[in-house]
Amino acid sequence: MKNIMGIIYTADRDNQLKELTADRAVAAVPLCGRYRLIDFPLSAMVDSGIRNIGVITQKNYNSLMDHLGSGREWDLHGKRAGLVFLPPFTNNNVGVYSGFLDAIHANLHYLRRSKERYVVSTDTHMLFTARFDDMVAAHEASGADITLMYSKDPGTRRNGAGRYIQVEEDGRVSALESDPSTPHLPYTYLEAFCIRRELLITLVDETVSQGYHHLTRDVLMEAIAKRTLKVHGFENPGRAWYLDSVQSYFKASMELLNRDTRADLFSADRPVLTKLRDEMPTHHCAGAKVKNSLIADGCIIEGTVENCILFRGVHIAKGAVVRNCIIMQDSKVLEDAELQYCIMDKQATIQPKGRLLATESYPIVVAKNYTV
Amino acid sequence: MLRKKRCVAMLLAGGQGSRLGILTKHVAKPAVPFGGKYRIIDFPLSNCSNSGVDVVGVLTQYRPLELNAYIASGAPWDLDLVNGGVFVLPPYQTGKTGEWYKGTANAIYQNISFIDQYDPDYVLILSGDHIYKMDYAAMVAHHESHNADATIAVRQVPWEEAPRFGIMNTDANDNIIEFEEKPAHPKSNNASMGVYVFTWAKLRKYLTEDEQNPNSQNDFGKNIIPAMLAEGQKLVAYSFNDYWKDVGTIESLWEANMDLLEDHPEIDLHDKKFRIYARNLGMIPQYVADTAKVENCLITEGCDVRGTVIHSILSSGVVVEEGAQVIDSVIMPGAKIEKGAIVRRAIVAEDAVVSANAIVGEGAGLIAVVGNGAVVPSDGRISAGEQFGE
Repeated sequence: MKNIMGIIYTADRDNQLKELTADRAVAAVPLCGRYRLIDFPLSAMVDSGIRNIGVITQKNYNSLMDHLGSGREWDLHGKRAGLVFLPPFTNNNVGVYSGFLDAIHANLHYLRRSKERYVVSTDTHMLFTARFDDMVAAHEASGADITLMYSKDPGTRRNGAGRYIQVEEDGRVSALESDPSTPHLPYTYLEAFCIRRELLITLVDETVSQGYHHLTRDVLMEAIAKRTLKVHGFENPGRAWYLDSVQSYFKASMELLNRDTRADLFSADRPVLTKLRDEMPTHHCAGAKVKNSLIADGCIIEGTVENCILFRGVHIAKGAVVRNCIIMQDSKVLEDAELQYCIMDKQATIQPKGRLLATESYPIVVAKNYTV
Repeated sequence: MLRKKRCVAMLLAGGQGSRLGILTKHVAKPAVPFGGKYRIIDFPLSNCSNSGVDVVGVLTQYRPLELNAYIASGAPWDLDLVNGGVFVLPPYQTGKTGEWYKGTANAIYQNISFIDQYDPDYVLILSGDHIYKMDYAAMVAHHESHNADATIAVRQVPWEEAPRFGIMNTDANDNIIEFEEKPAHPKSNNASMGVYVFTWAKLRKYLTEDEQNPNSQNDFGKNIIPAMLAEGQKLVAYSFNDYWKDVGTIESLWEANMDLLEDHPEIDLHDKKFRIYARNLGMIPQYVADTAKVENCLITEGCDVRGTVIHSILSSGVVVEEGAQVIDSVIMPGAKIEKGAIVRRAIVAEDAVVSANAIVGEGAGLIAVVGNGAVVPSDGRISAGEQFGE
């Protein structure tokens, strides 16, 4: 049992993934056949010995609630600690958080009630796995006030909507930029950090009363520039993906077809946990042709599937040809239909002989429940 | 005081299942994997859950470790309840005495106080040997509407197979008038499925009397049912003619697995209204590589398929390396088939390894078996019908 509590902030950046987040939070976006984005930070926290985890939600959190339930799949359903769902509309908040500080301010009661010495906080639109306990150990050792997790992964997308930092040899973060049109600083801040719980409470109390909303822009950038807080960096050596668009979501998914990339995100001794669905094994029927694909349980495959990710309960009918696609839960591609570079959201259907041929640079999204 | 229940199920899971040979050397039969992501006991447990029978006592005796760990709180079957749930019931000591379960009836007798806690009207007796989906609630309703003292589920088996079963001879109203255990010349082909509903007060009485008879084998089929018939109790047959398969032998276990690969399997495991639940590991989706060739297979999460797999079942976490061939076989969880190995008409048990270029099984004949955790050496040969491992 580590002296760490976790906070997963899911209230931001709901519009970047377009149709995929039309009626779900980013945290609930499905990934890699059977997971939701929140499974990655949540499983990593559990694996790091964190047993008290608050999930801050804002909009469209019904699918997230349904997914997390009592937290049983993550062993967070116990009596003494576990998963704490923090919806909006509390005494201190009427529903809209302008930023992380507002969200924490609205949920200060939860932070005050918790007993752990450290807080690890993370967002859900960055995809990576992490040893949060190692970050806290480094944080303790360095005596920093705040430690930011960063990545040197050259594959991480760098464009106008990320946060980048400069880290000095002694571990101190000397510069931070937020949403620059052209990034200048070398490393990607993964928007995961650790801080002493008491210090977070004090910081939030002080800054919110001054009218601030954003932790990164309003607090961290200034503290780094003026050296009012000791901010350190902790390198996460694994891969990291910034899911800031449908294209980057598609690209990250497809990269998981590579065995080594997959091994980076899913290691046998540190499983990524998710909600279970009791599907039977997938039936590869006579005549099915499957190449280079990740396939969840409960699918029926009668057609051709190449370079695809199939979620649970997908049906690829006879004669259908599906290449370079992501097909989400319970969707159907019917007889002789052809699909290329498409993302089919849940329970969508492609009618017999239907054709949807897109390109790698601009994958088409078929919205949830739609029939083409 | 626990709340009264209409029906309590007792699942007999104590037998070794010695006819499964090496597969049950280290685990009890109900814990043997089936169909890629199930274990045999998932079928009766899921049937209970789907039938609204929410108190299930599981009687264990032989190698209970895996079974206990597998059942644990009962959560996968929605049987982790405040008022009811699943309970593992091993034999226990009372005062200075204590004994193993001597027979199926004795196992229930020793747990009379468990059943009495719920003051049930009916008790459902199940076994952990069969693959089937059955609504027990319908059977209990049949029992009730016929005012029966005992109801026995029967199914019609091919006449030539009837001598292997307990055969129920009935009158026109489904009343059982005669019971014959494995008759050489059967008068009917209504075979007992080993699924019974008893009115608890009646069964309680017969169990108690049977226990006092030193010559009894304390067995339902051999003692309890004949005694009830002899004393004119009302025994009724309940016909069940959907899919049902005894998986008590290597060949029948293999066949039942292969049944799932039919175009339209007689047992539908996709059915969302009557799910078969299992404790799953929650592994990453299966990966099927460019080098793979997969035809008519059931493959589940955690598998990594790089070789050829035809008409076979791959369970959780199975690896089939490039150039390996798996044909007409059942590969149980965590097993690995290495490069160039050939596995035909075989069952490869949990965590076993078939090393590079080894050959397991043959194109025809009996099923070859590689036991739990066994490692078939490189270039090894396991012939049809052979059982390899410790």
